[in-house]
Amino acid sequence: MGPETGAGRSDPDLAADLAAGQQDALGELYDRYGRLAYSVAFKVLGDPGRAEDVVQEAFLKVWNNAARFDAHRGSLRTWLMTSVRNRSIDYLRGRAGHEREEQELQPGVAATGPSSDPWREVSLSFERTAIREALASLPPEQRQAVELAYFGGYSCREIAGMTRVPLSTVKGRMRLALEKLSSYLQGRGLMDV
Amino acid sequence: MSEHEELENSIAAWVLGAADAGEADTIAIHVDGCPSCQVTASRLTRAIDALPLEVEELEPPARLRQRILAAASTSPRVVPMPSRTEARSLRLPSRRKHLEVRMFERIPLYAAAAAVLLALVAGVAVGQLAGHFTPPAQSQVARFMLVGHDSMAGARASVVDLKSDGIALVDFNGLPALETGKVYELWLITPGNRIDPAGVFVPDASGTKVVVVGRSLEGYKTMAVTTEQGPDGAAAPTQQPQLYGSVA
Repeated sequence: MGPETGAGRSDPDLAADLAAGQQDALGELYDRYGRLAYSVAFKVLGDPGRAEDVVQEAFLKVWNNAARFDAHRGSLRTWLMTSVRNRSIDYLRGRAGHEREEQELQPGVAATGPSSDPWREVSLSFERTAIREALASLPPEQRQAVELAYFGGYSCREIAGMTRVPLSTVKGRMRLALEKLSSYLQGRGLMDV
Repeated sequence: MSEHEELENSIAAWVLGAADAGEADTIAIHVDGCPSCQVTASRLTRAIDALPLEVEELEPPARLRQRILAAASTSPRVVPMPSRTEARSLRLPSRRKHLEVRMFERIPLYAAAAAVLLALVAGVAVGQLAGHFTPPAQSQVARFMLVGHDSMAGARASVVDLKSDGIALVDFNGLPALETGKVYELWLITPGNRIDPAGVFVPDASGTKVVVVGRSLEGYKTMAVTTEQGPDGAAAPTQQPQLYGSVA
């Protein structure tokens, strides 16, 4: 596969070309995010075959629905990664894929990630460093709560049972963790205020 | 702690997809109508969107790229292929409209169900009508949600008011099992607090039921459900409703 490149089409242009059925646009999307998508799927599933299946489904979802993309409401990366993560969790938990359909396209709370194009790779690198620093700075129990939910697909109730703390405590830990991550990323200019 | 504070504290769990199904619906409805919670949800979601970057990157199998491109070449497109200009002009709906859109996607199902029911009532062959049925315009359709509380916590109902057809469809799920001899009774309440019975029903074993209300919801402010004595229910509710919502 090609590297994640900073050159190439902007998200809106790429989405428009995907919607127009241009296969080279899909190739560019894959070159840009395929490695990240596969890595997330593998982290959740721990199975290379299933991870491939999930990544394929997620890319095809974007391919088929690219006309609905709106750069004002989120980046292609966010859309794709949300799809990968949700499908991975659905596989993991034996849920039907359609249960996640609405959440993936939940536009009102979609992220407005850092701008793409020439700064994409640099931005991604900054973000990666920042998110790792931010997560490392969290108290272990807060990080655990977020990671069990995001990468494990566990509900608050399940996490409360696993960690033997009250449900409200789990929710509080999640809230604190995400607020800290948000502040951390905002403080580095990696997230819109 | 107020209900707002309680729900606000659950937003992180919700955006992480970790809220229970019933709670998630409640939070979604609250966020939809609460500007400050929308801001919170948006802020926390942005943090979540960075989480994939935590993962150590792995190199996928080289075949995966070609596999995806090959699958795309044979994948049926579910949307028309617009020009670049057209695609740029397309906008995902706002958060407020999201629930409407999400519900609207189900309208053909409800509408088809309504058509079938109407056809049956009118003695028209279902097959004749199904092929020609046109879903009603969005302005002719209103959607609402009923939420269960206390002993009916976890129960939900999606309400679709098909104004042009003069009927409403109520899609219940998560209803608790009834005691023997009891039924659920649906009530419609006017702004002047007149309570009109709107039908009795018994859900299936999984707690689901679609109820057709033989009138539009115009002129009513609230829909509610109580448990009453079967088989005919009561002329007036005998208990406080624990599943209700606005239909105004």
